[in-house]
Amino acid sequence: MPNIHVLLVGAGTMGRVHAAAYAKLPDVSLVGIVDSDREAAEALARVHGVPATYSDLTTALHDVACDVVDLCVPTHLHSTYAVAAAERGKHVICEKPIARTLDQARAMLDACRTYGVQLLVGHVVRFFPNFVRAKALMESGRIGQVAVARMFRGGQFPRGWDDWYRDVDRSGGVMLDLMIHDFDFLRWTFGPVARVYAKSVHDAAAPLAYALCTLRFQSGVIAHVEGSWAHEGFSTRFEFAGSQGILEEDSRYTAPLWVHERASAATGRAADGGGAAAGGVAVPLSPVFVNPYEAEIDHFIRVIRGEETPRVTAMDAYEALRIALACAESAQTGRPVALGD
Amino acid sequence: MNIGILSTAHMHVYSYMAALRRLGVPIVGIYDDDAERGRRAAEATGVPFFPDAEPLLAQVDAVVVCSENANHKRDVLAAARHGRHILCEKPIATSVADALEMIRACQQAGVILQMAFPVRYIAAVRQLRDLVQAGRLGRILAMRGTNHGYMPGGWFIDHRLAGGGAVMDHTVHVADIMRWILGAEVRRVYAEIDNRVHQKDIDDCGILTIEFDNGVFATLDPSWSRTDAYPIWGDVTLEVVGSGGTASLDAFAAHLNVYSVQDGKGVHEGYGEDMDYYLIKDFVETVAAGRQPLVDGVDGLRAMEVALAAYESAARGEPVEVTLAAV
Repeated sequence: MPNIHVLLVGAGTMGRVHAAAYAKLPDVSLVGIVDSDREAAEALARVHGVPATYSDLTTALHDVACDVVDLCVPTHLHSTYAVAAAERGKHVICEKPIARTLDQARAMLDACRTYGVQLLVGHVVRFFPNFVRAKALMESGRIGQVAVARMFRGGQFPRGWDDWYRDVDRSGGVMLDLMIHDFDFLRWTFGPVARVYAKSVHDAAAPLAYALCTLRFQSGVIAHVEGSWAHEGFSTRFEFAGSQGILEEDSRYTAPLWVHERASAATGRAADGGGAAAGGVAVPLSPVFVNPYEAEIDHFIRVIRGEETPRVTAMDAYEALRIALACAESAQTGRPVALGD
Repeated sequence: MNIGILSTAHMHVYSYMAALRRLGVPIVGIYDDDAERGRRAAEATGVPFFPDAEPLLAQVDAVVVCSENANHKRDVLAAARHGRHILCEKPIATSVADALEMIRACQQAGVILQMAFPVRYIAAVRQLRDLVQAGRLGRILAMRGTNHGYMPGGWFIDHRLAGGGAVMDHTVHVADIMRWILGAEVRRVYAEIDNRVHQKDIDDCGILTIEFDNGVFATLDPSWSRTDAYPIWGDVTLEVVGSGGTASLDAFAAHLNVYSVQDGKGVHEGYGEDMDYYLIKDFVETVAAGRQPLVDGVDGLRAMEVALAAYESAARGEPVEVTLAAV
């Protein structure tokens, strides 16, 4: 089997997670790492024995032979970078959300279609075993007709390069960046959304963000989605209430292993709860040998090899963005927003 | 002091009577317009049954009204006519007009109209309110509440008597504590409401979004979405997000997990304090002292207005501005 060569763009939190996933896969090579912070690129390259680092994508695309460009950069940069990669015939793996705006997302879809490359967006919740099992149980009819879905996802305000999460123009805030996971999962499970109504607060100075969104699906399901960058310690919760029963999980109580290392000035270690603090953004530990990020990257590589069809299509990612933007619009205008077809 | 019971339609009457007994307050009798239901309750509790309300009203200092929501007005007006103080089950009524008539009648008669909002009598709710009012969470930005429960059946699913389903039944508890904790009034309500759990001809699920006049936004899930398979009848939860921190209330979190073959499922055995006891104790003390009640008819009206606005919003498909009825 020919080696797949991957150029990783972004050596921040998600870049490190993706790099670790590639390192575990046979017949996949990270051939270069791009980051405007060249030192960060070099540090990550050293960890995984990656031969080349770059401080900009254009030079990297010119310089290194690769099959795939993996984008782990701030959201507002996705579109330009993805289009540049597609134009050079590279498959695109891209962190969620697909883009900051629908226009940007459409440009990515168009370019990837035009140049015949895959566009695979990291809606990793579709690879989390708790969510996958919940969906399967609901589809088996175990809790009957679902009436109300309740989702929570949240933790501390994320820190990133140049504090880009604070800037709604770049990150889209908590609805676009965080709650989009649940929007995608709910749409995957319950189908198209008819309308949304949302309230949010984003205080960049604090920093703090919190949003409460109600989604009404065409199927009639009512969903309540709570997203927080105002809490301590990352966790997710869901509750699906149906005519025949209830299905619920609280990630605070389902971790099979808790490790509390005592904070120590000598080791520089931070005391931490259920999440592994990878730099500034908490990434939840997953109780499996293959974590969801690895499963996702493995799947994406198989899709690129033509062995599997995408579990999450570029259109799915586009639709998730559409829901998130509709919620943002509702929060802005104070009106319910219909999504249309 | 002695007490009369006006109707046993609402099952809370049993825990209220148990609380009165624990306090040593004599219960003179039970009146119920459904004589069979009233006799059954009288037999079960060893209290005399009164087929007519008037003779009972003539003998008591205060009454506990536990009739169907739509009949609260009838019973409250009767008690007020006799100059009796009143503890009224929630929601106060099924319409603003009825609630106003009740509030005014009690004002004119000079009797106490206290609402049975037991959630205010949970220690954790008091502590949360104290924390918020002391500014420990900074400026409050948002709240997220739930009051889930079993579908109660009976008259609760009869529109004419209940005035609505889950939204009418469960909105008022959390709307009341949100108002109380914030010291603010509801300004706007949006709601998605449906009937998807129980296949009955009444709403059983929904999500309300509530905005307060101090800028705080909140959501509330009042669904009758607990089935018999669930380990507990329901919940009251409230998440509070402030500029200086967050607080998470789970009012019935104090419980043991019990797994007995006798139950056929795991159940929660709550060991928290009995909120109904503290509610009744406060009512008795309020009557004895002749003081302003902690939760009055206007509080009952304001909470009901949220539920009514939710129904209106769901019918119109848009947010509804709440015009608080002038008392």
